[in-house]
Amino acid sequence: MAKPLVVISQAQGKNPAKQQLEAELVAALSSDANVEVSLVPNLYDLAADHSAMQFLRSIPGDVIVLSWLYPRGARWILDRQNVRGHEGVSLLESKTDDEESDDESPARKNGNGRHGSDDAKKNGNGNGHGEVPDSRPLPNRKIYCLDLRDHSEVKVYLDEIRRIAVGQVFNLPGQLSSTLTSIAEPKQDEQVENLPHELAKYLRPLDLLAEQKSATSLDDDDDVPANGEIVRRRWYPVIDYSRCTNCMECIDFCLFGVYGLDPLGSILVEQQDSCKKGCPACSRVCPANAIVFPGHKTPAIAGADGEVGDVKIDLSKLFGAPSAVELAARERDVELVRDGRDTVGLTIGIPKRLKDKPKKPRDELDDLIDSLDALEL
Amino acid sequence: MSDLTFLMGKFEAHIPTDRIYSDNHLWLQADGEPNCYRVGFTAYSVRLLQDVYFLEWSIDPHSAVHKKQEIGEIESSKAVSTLYAPADGTILDFNERLLDDPSAINTDGYAKGFLFRMQTEVTFLTPEEYVAHLAAGWDKTEKLIKGQYN
Repeated sequence: MAKPLVVISQAQGKNPAKQQLEAELVAALSSDANVEVSLVPNLYDLAADHSAMQFLRSIPGDVIVLSWLYPRGARWILDRQNVRGHEGVSLLESKTDDEESDDESPARKNGNGRHGSDDAKKNGNGNGHGEVPDSRPLPNRKIYCLDLRDHSEVKVYLDEIRRIAVGQVFNLPGQLSSTLTSIAEPKQDEQVENLPHELAKYLRPLDLLAEQKSATSLDDDDDVPANGEIVRRRWYPVIDYSRCTNCMECIDFCLFGVYGLDPLGSILVEQQDSCKKGCPACSRVCPANAIVFPGHKTPAIAGADGEVGDVKIDLSKLFGAPSAVELAARERDVELVRDGRDTVGLTIGIPKRLKDKPKKPRDELDDLIDSLDALEL
Repeated sequence: MSDLTFLMGKFEAHIPTDRIYSDNHLWLQADGEPNCYRVGFTAYSVRLLQDVYFLEWSIDPHSAVHKKQEIGEIESSKAVSTLYAPADGTILDFNERLLDDPSAINTDGYAKGFLFRMQTEVTFLTPEEYVAHLAAGWDKTEKLIKGQYN
């Protein structure tokens, strides 16, 4: 059985505590005979043609991703980049609510494991993409995503990685799609040995860390990997296709051309870098909570698992919180103004689901909106 | 002056008639200077919050605000909430007493437990209108509470 590859996705910025955890993991895993270990820049920031992404795409076997991202975020970032596989179930406990002081809607239990069985059932088409058509076959391997923010001790991660690595022997692929078992199993070890030089460097994380240490930072906002390929911070939506229903509300709402359709008519984040930094508006209008902005401060938007399920009641609505749609429209207007365009408020791309709601008495705004529709702008 | 009451299940929320109300469940009482008010949680709010543990403001005193602007956070034994400005205007200053110990919100919510002073020219609800507003929203509030409890 091929050794799983551990991928450590580096934190954005230069937080010493995070860098130390990464370095300790690299050191401990480099001497572990059961796994290969690699170090890559922050997954979210990697462009499709970055060598680290090419490296990840060249890995055929099981992958254990350690990142400073919610597991949902990491998994679907990789999916969009064609690094795909069945969802591996981690038994790592997520940080509990009490430890998380800066959390608007906590209640995140058991990381990516909780939805595992649901997903397996829901994704009957075998490609992991629930209700959204997808022509790509799903490779017969597993991708585990662990959140490095959950624990500060290296040992917790090492234990879980070893559990996964050892458990693999008993956990042969093919549970979800037995038809695929006839396909030759990927020979990860061989593949890894034959990697081209510029990609193989990712398998020498100790050298990468040493190089990074000696390099001086060019710009606070950029993480400079050893080979000089500059990784700029990006901001774009990531679609969780286990939730997406292809309802098209995001493409209707976004006025910046971020979304597109593939030849099968499936919604796609097409122009990542047309997205407006800091704006999570489309995520708010998504009725399935399927749009993740891994860098947003609100856990529900950044890909925390589950719905708002805190033990405490959130009374924000009662005390005057704007609705998600109002907030989204406001955020969109801010970005339109920044682009020198006119605001549109609630007149364009407002979720259809609102129209299904029981009719309230009409008010002036309804009349205004209808008069705009009549103008056929 | 006798208070109005609104029945939250079996709990009687007292709504004093010596002040006016915002639709996001705050009371406002004229503070001497023109268009200046003391602002606090109504008994209805306090009953839903229960014991307040923590109150934090995210804006500075003398900040201009617009209605529904985020101005702070509150946490109680039963609930958390972001707090929003009740109307367009200026938040003058915050009740210092609450910052160390917010318990006056529970023990004396209509006086010493006020939240902040605000200047605004907006027209608010009369006590009668506020009670009607509560009655109209009660179903929704019950659902909000139950929905989140599951």
